[in-house]
This record gives sequence, C-alpha cells and structure tokens, in this order.
Amino acid sequence: VSVSRPSVYIEGVGLEIGWRDERRNLSELIFDTVRNTVDDAGQGWRDIDSVVLAAQDLVDGRSLSSMVTAPAAGCYLRDEIRYGDDGAAAFAAAVTRIEAGESQRTVVAAWARASEHDVDAVSRILFDPIFTGPLGVQEVHVSGMRAQAWLQAGGNGAPRADALSRRADAVARNPRAIRAGGYRPTPSYPLHAEDLPVWADIVACVVISARPNAVRLAGLGQSSEPFAVGERDLVRMPSLSRAARLSLEESRRSIAEIDLIELDGLTLFDEAIGLEAIGVAPAGQGLKALAVDARVNSSGGAAAGYCAPAMGLVRIVEAALQIQGRAGGIQRPNVRTAMAVGASIVAAQTHTAVVLEAA
Amino acid sequence: MSALAIVGVGQTAYRRNHAHLSSRELIWTAAEAALKDAGLEMDAMDVVIAGIAPDALAGEGSVERSGIMGRGKPFLRVNTGGVTGSSTVFAGASYIKAGRAKAVLVVALERMGQATTSQQVFNTIFDPVYEKDFPLTTITMAALRASMLMRLYGYTDRHWAEIAARNYQNARRNPLAHLHLDLSPEDVLKSPLLAWPIHRYEACPMSEGACALVLASREMVGSRSAAWVHACASTSDSYAMGDRIRRPEGNLVDLLSLRLSAERAYKEAGITDPLRQIRTVELYTAFSSAEAMTYPALGFCEAPDGPRFVEALMSDPSLPVFNPSGGPQGANPVSATAMVRIAECALQVRGLAGERQVDGVERAVATGQGGATQFSTVCVLGKRPLH
Repeated sequence: VSVSRPSVYIEGVGLEIGWRDERRNLSELIFDTVRNTVDDAGQGWRDIDSVVLAAQDLVDGRSLSSMVTAPAAGCYLRDEIRYGDDGAAAFAAAVTRIEAGESQRTVVAAWARASEHDVDAVSRILFDPIFTGPLGVQEVHVSGMRAQAWLQAGGNGAPRADALSRRADAVARNPRAIRAGGYRPTPSYPLHAEDLPVWADIVACVVISARPNAVRLAGLGQSSEPFAVGERDLVRMPSLSRAARLSLEESRRSIAEIDLIELDGLTLFDEAIGLEAIGVAPAGQGLKALAVDARVNSSGGAAAGYCAPAMGLVRIVEAALQIQGRAGGIQRPNVRTAMAVGASIVAAQTHTAVVLEAA
Repeated sequence: MSALAIVGVGQTAYRRNHAHLSSRELIWTAAEAALKDAGLEMDAMDVVIAGIAPDALAGEGSVERSGIMGRGKPFLRVNTGGVTGSSTVFAGASYIKAGRAKAVLVVALERMGQATTSQQVFNTIFDPVYEKDFPLTTITMAALRASMLMRLYGYTDRHWAEIAARNYQNARRNPLAHLHLDLSPEDVLKSPLLAWPIHRYEACPMSEGACALVLASREMVGSRSAAWVHACASTSDSYAMGDRIRRPEGNLVDLLSLRLSAERAYKEAGITDPLRQIRTVELYTAFSSAEAMTYPALGFCEAPDGPRFVEALMSDPSLPVFNPSGGPQGANPVSATAMVRIAECALQVRGLAGERQVDGVERAVATGQGGATQFSTVCVLGKRPLH
C-alpha cells in the first residue's frame, strides 16, 4: 500500500457538551458548533468542498436524520457523506478524501443528543434480536462482563478509587465538560455508578485540509472485532490493539513517545483495559495507569460527557487542543504528540486510532 | 491519487422478502459472489465498508454489524439514505485513491421486507411538526414533483407509463430482478392511483437483497476483467422542498444536486457530449416520473424538451440505453439500489450482463438519489483506464 500521500492537517476544532438546552434544537446545536469550528479554522467557507458526518438515526430520532441535520453542518450544494459510525472513523474516512485529492478542505462533524433519546433502549436494539435482545443486554452490560473478565484474569482493581479521584479532578478543570444534568445508566456488576459515563448532548467538529497548520496527522489505524460478544477477547481487545499499533507504525513512534492519550471507553474499566491494549500499561495495570499517568485522558474521558457516535471525534478535538496549547484548565505542558482513539457500537466493535503531532 | 476499478460484482436475487436468509447470510452471499468474480479471497481485502440506510426498515439497529467480515480489518458503515449504496462505493474508492488500500470490499444490504409498511417509516424522514401529519411520504413527495413536471414542461401520464413499461420489459431480461412483469403502457395506466398522477406500476417495489463489489487499485487489477472508475461525484441539497421551488439555482424538479454531480463527474471523466459518449445509464429513480427529471440534469436534453426526449427514447436505438437491468422498477432494495446501479454498469462495461447486455458499452453512468431528492451521486465507469 502506497505511503506517498499528502499530509493532512487540522485547521480548526469545535466542541460543545451540554444537556437539554431548550433554546436550541439539534440542527441549531450542530450549526453553532460547525460555524464556530469554521471560524476557528480562519478560512471561512473558502475551499470547503466536502462534509463528512458521523451520526446515528437511532440516536437522532428520525429514519434519515441527515436530511435535516446535514444542511446544518454546511452541506448545502457540497459533497457530503454520513457514516453511521463513530466520529473517529468518519475522521479517518475524511482523511482519505484529502489524501486522495478528492477534497481540498473538509468539515468533519459528529453529534448525539442523549437528552432526547432513550439511551438504554437504543443500546438494547443494537444486539441480536433473537438470541441476545430478549435478555435485555446493553453495551454497559458488556462493559461489566469485560471488567469481570479483567478482574478474573488478575487485573489490579486497587487503584480504582485513585483513578476515579483523578478523573473527577480532570472533569472539574475541563472547561468543556458537562456541568449540569446528564444521565447515568444503571450499573451492572462489578461496575458502580461512578464508573459509568455521564451521557450528554454533544457536537464535535474539525476542519481538515492539506494546507500546513499547527496540528498534523502522523498516523492512522483502524480495526474491528466480530459481532458476537462470545467471539471476542474482551480483555485483550485485539481490535483496539491493532488500530493503535498501525497508527504508531505510520507515525514511526512508540507509545512511550506519545505525550498525551485521549482514549474512548464507555466506563472507567473500559478506559483502563484499553490502556493495556494500546501498550500504555502492562496487563492488569490499566487502572493504575489511569490513576497516575498524567498523559492519559486529561479531559476526564467519558465522565466529562459521553454520547455515541460523537466520542471518537471528541477525543480528536481534545488531543488537537492540547497540541495547540488551547486546552484551558486541563492543558498539559509541552504536548507535541497525541493519540486519540475512538470506539464504535456495538460495545467497541471497531476502533480508530489517530496519532497527531505538532507541525 | 491512484486509479481503481471494479473487479468483482456479487448480487443476491432481489425479492419482497428473503424469509429464509438472515441479514448476515444475505451480506455474505453477495460478498462471496463478488470475491469469486474477482478471483480474490477475503484475506486480500484491506478494508470493508457496509452501507445500510434506515435501521427502522430492518427492525434491527445497525444490522450491518452482525454481518461484519474479515476479522480485524477496518470496517465502516455508511448511511446516506437512498444514495447509501453509491456513497459506500465512493468511500471505498477514497481508501484506494489515498493509497491506504489495494482492495476494498463494499457491500450494501436492504432488509425492508421486515417492515410492515415502508411508507410509515418513510413518513418519519420528514419534519415531525410541519410535514409528518401531511402525510408526506416518498410517494406523495414524488407525486408533487410529477405534477410540477406536467405543469412546467407538458409531460402527460402517458410519458410516465411509457418509461415504466420499458423498465418492466428490461427487467424481464434480468434474472435478479424482483418483478418480472409483462406490462404495456396501457397496463400501467390502468393500475390504481397511489397519489395523483402516480399509478401503482409507475412506482418501485419494496425489495430485499444485498449487493457487493470488489474495488481494486491499478496494480491489483492485473489481467482481471475490470470496470474502471472514471469519476465519482456527490452533492447534497437543502432539506426544505419549499426552498427549492423558486430559487435562482434551479427549481424543485431541476434536480440541482444531480446536475452538479454530473457536471463534476463529467469534467473528471472528460465527457463533453453525454449523448454520444455514454452508451448506457442506470438510474436510481424510484418512480418513472422521477426518471424524467434526470434527463436534463445529466445533460441529455434541455428541461423543456423532456417530453420529446422521452418519445425519442422509445423509438431511437442510437440514444443511450436507460436502465437495461429494469432499474428500480425491477427491484428497489433501498440501501443497496444505488450500488446495484453501479454494479449493473460494471457488468455492462465488462460485457458480463448476460441477456440484458447492451452492445458497444465503452462508458456507463450510474446515479444515486436519496432523501427528498436531496442527495445525488454520479459514477462514471469505463472499459479502459482514464489515463
């Protein structure tokens, strides 16, 4: 596979996390964030010839939601494609359009509004309707199974309190984190309420182009797992591991050389186990890494606001802000490289890992 | 940027309901046929992209996930409504053109046979406050356009019936088609009115099925029979149909999004005289009246000359052949239909279309149409690489 392709840069970023804003409908939320992102890029709508979206009809509450939401994201008379997939996957697809020479400048936007859909019902419908669906299985239950399997395999659960404490501190300092409202599903053993994400209303957006800018894409990796949960290795997470490895290989860096990591995980345990899969922590020590490794999820991760399918792009926005030195109260010093990882339904079935660097 | 071609085509038969096959079986049936046609194994695929439109039609959420193939491979799902099938092909093409893949498997699935009534589902694609109670559906939406075409350009219901009857006759030569009906224009006109001026047999059926293609980079093509991708273009329009009635860029039936896509695709493919340079066209038009909107948008005639162009199409064999497969009136598996159009064009270009083969196809054009005639795609395929 060819490696001679143009570099892709992030020119502008935007992110809004909130809850039940009764002054604005979904289209208005999308419009505001996309508009702010285009302004942030500083180029106006000049040369923006493509829009790539990540959104789910089941979440948006319409059978073909992009009919009304795509124009709000700037698609009018532009090339547009919507992925019913995670925001990081849409970002990767948008990157290929720039690299292919199909687009000069692309808007990538992802959103989800948890305050207007039944989070648990949408999660249940993702599973097999014959064998799994009648059991009422939700993604958070798979997270519970993952956590159990990890503990049984020798995972060190002792640092959980420290990890939660660090995460709460990060959320308090993150100017973009949800401040009021939100929804937490019912925890399933061995998870507790504070391990769970805070579901929120989220719109994330970036503008990318081949024009040199402060943040450059250095590596990209994608991978997938089988559908059936029983066919997956819940603890080793081979899809995540492979996606991260591919992105690091492309960036010609090791994970130790990455200054900041933003990793999407539904629960605290998913984040911890994910850190082991990408090589940040040895097997069984993911929670410890979450508790002590300042490079990891300085945004507060899923506790700062969560709603699929926006999360992968949220992680990319947070990583880009860190490299630009604009992350506010959670800014880390001297961030030159960052990895952002997105996971998709169903229960992290596919992964996209992105390595960004200061250009 | 790398050249690419379609080297494998796989389709299930299209039926009202594939009650004996699960979604993953339909996906795999099409994928396996495409891989066999390409002479490649799943291991050779670098990326897999699936296209599924409204989840509500299938009654399952993200049904494509259950049919995921190629353990560990990058996998994405596209959903752009009626253009899902073509958008999925374009997404795969981008990975190859970017040099991130040598071969991509794209597959589109439609399971709308699980829906008790598709129009109830389609009613929910419209604005819940102003349009849903109308009741606006894809049928009434098409009827509004058909009546506008009649008023502006002088089309009659005879034109719609002629187009529909031709599509049904073509579908009889396509063993995969859902409907094999021997219908004349008179039969079409005698069928019940769905919403004036649209008769039942001017509309597409509800079909289930899957379509898959293997896309390959130039170096992967080798000696394989190939349909070269000359151009892909996609354009989105505004949601509100009222905004499109009297705007300067083009009215509601001018199909601006398709015209802009065609202009971009033709420029990339070097097409300056569509009537002479395009031998066959596969259209995603779910109603025969909607087919009339595409002729001027694709550069085959001026809009006011549309009725005369329809009449000429029925008698002049030198004109491009439209929908040799029967088009969506032969089968309309919504999520897959725009990919089926590309698949049929690929078969035509490769000379593998069987009884529906058109003579002398050097170039073929496939369109996609989705939303409230809001999303349009154009794909140009050729017998030889463009450069």
